[in-house]
Amino acid sequence: MPPAVRAESLTKRYGTLTAVDDLSFALEPGTITGFLGPNGAGKTTTLRMLLGLARPTHGEALIFERPYAEIEQPALRIGAVLEATDFHPGRSGRNHLRTLAAAAGLPDSRVDEVLRTVELAGAANRRVKGYSLGMRQRLGLAAALLGDPELLVLDEPANGLDPEGVRWLRDFLRSFAGSGHTVLVSSHVLAEVAQTVDHVLIISRGKLVRESRLDELTAGIGGAVRVRSPQADRLREALEREGIEVADASGALYARGTTSERVGEIAAASGVVLHELRVEQSSLEEVFLELTAEKQE
Amino acid sequence: MIPQLRAEVLKVRSTRTTLGLVLGMAALILLFVILTALLTSVNEMGQRDQQRDLYSIGSFAGLFAALAGIMLVTGEYRYGTIRPTYLFTPKRSTVLVAKVAASLVAGLVFALIGEILSVGVGGVILNERSISIALTHHDYWLLTIGTLIGTALWGGIGVGVGMIVRNQVGAIIGILAWGFVIQNLLFGLAPTVGRWTPDSAQNGMMGMTDSHLLDPGPGAVVLVGWTIAICIAGAVMAARRDVS
Repeated sequence: MPPAVRAESLTKRYGTLTAVDDLSFALEPGTITGFLGPNGAGKTTTLRMLLGLARPTHGEALIFERPYAEIEQPALRIGAVLEATDFHPGRSGRNHLRTLAAAAGLPDSRVDEVLRTVELAGAANRRVKGYSLGMRQRLGLAAALLGDPELLVLDEPANGLDPEGVRWLRDFLRSFAGSGHTVLVSSHVLAEVAQTVDHVLIISRGKLVRESRLDELTAGIGGAVRVRSPQADRLREALEREGIEVADASGALYARGTTSERVGEIAAASGVVLHELRVEQSSLEEVFLELTAEKQE
Repeated sequence: MIPQLRAEVLKVRSTRTTLGLVLGMAALILLFVILTALLTSVNEMGQRDQQRDLYSIGSFAGLFAALAGIMLVTGEYRYGTIRPTYLFTPKRSTVLVAKVAASLVAGLVFALIGEILSVGVGGVILNERSISIALTHHDYWLLTIGTLIGTALWGGIGVGVGMIVRNQVGAIIGILAWGFVIQNLLFGLAPTVGRWTPDSAQNGMMGMTDSHLLDPGPGAVVLVGWTIAICIAGAVMAARRDVS
């Protein structure tokens, strides 16, 4: 299958500043990719070029193998949110969506559907100026969903969300990607997306520093899946039978070079009860900082 | 094109900006019409040129149509809605044409309201003061058509100016400075140059009597030319510039 999103030597210069520097990557359809990097690394500039809002100085930004501007009816294939605040404060949420639906030739009934999807139906006729940040984020998402797209591009969607909103977003993205759709979601905090994404693209100072599966990243850096079980010995045996290195510390097991999914499956197959199962975030976060820090002298 | 036009018309209708502009316009036109019609002496008011001046007050609608056009574009930059707008319609020229079309329609509505207020209210006051109408059918025709078409075109000019300037406050100050100061100075000091401005072209189109103004036909052509030129400049700028 051709990649859903592809950057080829993508470069953007503003005067002497190189915001995006010879960036190349490709996203497989059906994946959720975290586009990570510190603030100012060039994530938003890259997304703008992919979405046809900014013109590359050099290289190509392709979606479904074409420049965004050349895609017929792009809203029916791609949903994107770049800023959480892109609304006229005096327009109601519903009318905001109606203007976009009209431009895409979609009926108003579709507006009401997406409002229900993002749980904003109750506030639909209120003016956006009265919306909380979380509601605005969801309204932006509703706009992206209008055309029932197969690819979702979100720039820092968790910014300013409360924990409940973050969880809602995570659940939403999982169910969206579960139906074979593709997601590209940027963040400057790896932990924010670590539970959602299966691939990561890490950039720093406009350059790609890492493109890999999340589990490979975890494995490669000696990250661990922390697991607690009342039948720790049996679990340890089962894991080791599968060739997974297991360490024991402070009443928990640390399985290296694997994923939480894999450990869970092995535990289930061996009929072992688990009390806790999670990827050690600190180690992931450390590697992220390490990868992005080495680029900044 | 039609879907985008529907989207733009909905944008015009779905905030209070347009209503505010219409109310401001109505208040201003009413004020000038009432003051002019009441305070000018019966003798003077009976003259054809005076009456034409009175009825032409409705063409103030052009300024407000231009402001509406400016807001339709600069509001999108100010509030960031330009991003979803272009994501849904990446062909920026299509967005611009739709905005121009929506502004032409809005301009016609503005002009109708302006005409009803100036000719309607002005006419009632003249009638109350027992001043007989000196204007010919031809005068009426030029005033009405000139106001309607001219105001609609100002809506289009506003969209073009908005696309060029993008900054809302800057564009509004620019159009006000142009309309109230620069264009008047230009026409006053150098009428052979000043008569080619869009404002003077519209005055010529409406059959206003000033020997320096263009005739109605050429006036219309010049105003249409300005509108097209400004909109093309706006389209070129929109296509070339990145959206932040």
